[in-house]
Amino acid sequence: MTAPLTLPDYREKSPEVAARLKRLVQRPVALEVAGLSKTFESTRGTVTALDNVSFSVHKRELMCVIGPSGCGKSTLVRILAGLENPTSGEVRVNGSSVSGPGPDRGMVFQGYTLFPWQTVKQNVMFGPRMAGKSTYSAESEAREWIALVGLSKFENAYPHQLSGGMKQRVAIARALANQPRVLFMDEPFGALDSQTRCQMQSYLLDIWKNVDITIVFITHDLDEAVFLSDRILVLDANPGRIREIVEVPVPRPRSEAQWFDPTFIATRKHIDHMMHPPGQPQKDAPVLRLAMPDPDVV
Amino acid sequence: MPSAAAWLGTTAFPFHPMARHPLLKDWFLIRRDLPQVRALFLTLVSFLLPVGIWCIFSYVPWIWHPDVKIEISAERDGITTVFTAGDRVSEAFFPEFVAAVRKDNAKVIAARQTGTAETGAKRKNQKLLRQLAPVAINHHWLPHTEAQNDAVIYGIWRDIATGTKISKHPKLSPENLEIIRENWQRFSEKSTEFSFSKLPDEPLLKLIPQGKPSNPVYLPAPDEVIRTGFRDFTASVPDGELTMGERYKRSIHVIFMGFLCACIVGIPIGILCGVFDFFSKLFEPFVDFFRYMPAPTFSTLLVAILLAGDAPKIALVFIGTVFQMILVVSKTTRMLDSSLLEAAQTLGAKPRQMVTHVVIPGILPNLYNDLRILLGWAWTWLVIAELIGVKSGLTEFIETQGRFRNFDRVYPIIILIGLTGFVTDQVLSWLHGIFFPWAGKSGPLTSNLRQKIGRSLTTITNKNHRQAEPTP
Repeated sequence: MTAPLTLPDYREKSPEVAARLKRLVQRPVALEVAGLSKTFESTRGTVTALDNVSFSVHKRELMCVIGPSGCGKSTLVRILAGLENPTSGEVRVNGSSVSGPGPDRGMVFQGYTLFPWQTVKQNVMFGPRMAGKSTYSAESEAREWIALVGLSKFENAYPHQLSGGMKQRVAIARALANQPRVLFMDEPFGALDSQTRCQMQSYLLDIWKNVDITIVFITHDLDEAVFLSDRILVLDANPGRIREIVEVPVPRPRSEAQWFDPTFIATRKHIDHMMHPPGQPQKDAPVLRLAMPDPDVV
Repeated sequence: MPSAAAWLGTTAFPFHPMARHPLLKDWFLIRRDLPQVRALFLTLVSFLLPVGIWCIFSYVPWIWHPDVKIEISAERDGITTVFTAGDRVSEAFFPEFVAAVRKDNAKVIAARQTGTAETGAKRKNQKLLRQLAPVAINHHWLPHTEAQNDAVIYGIWRDIATGTKISKHPKLSPENLEIIRENWQRFSEKSTEFSFSKLPDEPLLKLIPQGKPSNPVYLPAPDEVIRTGFRDFTASVPDGELTMGERYKRSIHVIFMGFLCACIVGIPIGILCGVFDFFSKLFEPFVDFFRYMPAPTFSTLLVAILLAGDAPKIALVFIGTVFQMILVVSKTTRMLDSSLLEAAQTLGAKPRQMVTHVVIPGILPNLYNDLRILLGWAWTWLVIAELIGVKSGLTEFIETQGRFRNFDRVYPIIILIGLTGFVTDQVLSWLHGIFFPWAGKSGPLTSNLRQKIGRSLTTITNKNHRQAEPTP
């Protein structure tokens, strides 16, 4: 497939996509963020990581948060998960205000964070056991979640025996076994090679399709954001503010073939321009030595 | 039978005169592990090297040997210091000693010629008779407990004089053989069997001292150490004294109890300090201060409080270990990846559950290694502990024998303590792989065994599980 010379406007949507997005925003709000700010005191003065961030995520939505490095994506998700406290503002899950971590919000970290002394099954059982479920019911539940991520064969393996992609699937199963309302994923596939990352993205969409879960997905990868999400929250750096919430015009179900759709490319290009405005010099352009003309290198 | 090259982990290529032999290749690779056989070989060499140096110093005469070990001794007139066989004198003094004895003999001969020989030298001659006792014992002609069995020694003089017995170690000098024959003639003129009353009356010639170059008493040769060590460990002891095995058991008991008490106190406090800043600020400053006070300075105090017996010794090992343990354990606890705690929090773990379900299992392998290192320190405290109050255990033996300068009996004990520590540590490090299979750092030997044990464990648990599950 060849890319057309002129790309469509990213705001143009097919009627089906427009209708789906309209239905989406009519759903109840699963996660509401109101006026969230976070400042850090450092020796060089006050740093504003997040400045008055407000948005809402609807039930069973998959929203990606993207932005240049240092824009406070990780701070945002850590506040949402309750691992850090905001300087001001509020987070509401299903209408009730939350502070501190809780089993209603699951989290998948970039660094897997599996408990190395537990097998795959024991890792997945962790949440239910903390909630006081019996070992027997926790175990049977864990088996179901492990089957969902396709690792039944490895339920007795230790994390150090698994590949990065498998570890992250266990981490997803472990977070889901706790039956959270919202799942936060902080650049979960950032440490994986590109091939595995593509596979994991498809896996994630499969899981999301079958499970009643709202996902907030942090990434710095444009393709990943466009491929996965219904809406993309674009953050600005210094201070971290919402630049735009982009509705993705790519129809579902998604597949890798859509990477070359004009709508996909147009959306990707729009976000790219927002994050790296054209014409602006690259901040840290590499300095290269000049080479002599070489007939083999054209 | 595999070739040597195959054993040392290289493939033998057809030998090329310019290329280095495969056995010589690849020994020095930067930050690269050697193959297992080579590693094993070097481990062996690391032990053989010091032993080899020890052997060279002990057995090659021209390397060091500043002393002479006396094999045949003699008394000199008017000198109270008596050297017996086995004593060491300096190389410079020995000729002087020999000259003095020769001078005594010359006097005796001169007196004989002038006919002014003394009488009443029976007692002296009996002592002279016993000069051959060490030689007899060396050849097992006489058990070492019977150095004063004059009747047998008398027979040995006869046998050597007539040539039926020949002394090989030490080889008697011709001068001494001559003296033995001469003396035997005078003995046999009176009687062929020993009888004190029938000993010659006039003074006889003394044997000239003989000796061989040797090292100072503090460096006995390996064979001496092995022999005395074997004797000390197998010998029966008089009633009321402890056998070496009992001493060893007592030492182990003290160190084990002291270390156990330190663990019971130190590990929980250390973990609390590592998890909660409250406990860290509450305990650690004082612990940090206290650990700079050397444990032995409390020894007299401990004896005054806990009296005699093992209690003050156990307390000393405890004091020496516990403060270090608190600090080391709290540091290990702090090193636990904090993202695991965050993950547990997002999974709904409460603070208490985070300690019991995340912190403790998470630090166990590192904690285990810490304890291994601390156990090594505890051995140091043990040696000091055994010297306080009533001396006990292996250290008491070292102390006593050291005072008698029986260093050949001291070395086996030092080596025994070293071996115990080393073997314990090796076994514990090997068990690490079995206790913590998930830590994933163990040698191929361990991982093989671990798989076997793991498999049998799974079968056992599966069986139990099947029995426990209600059949529908």
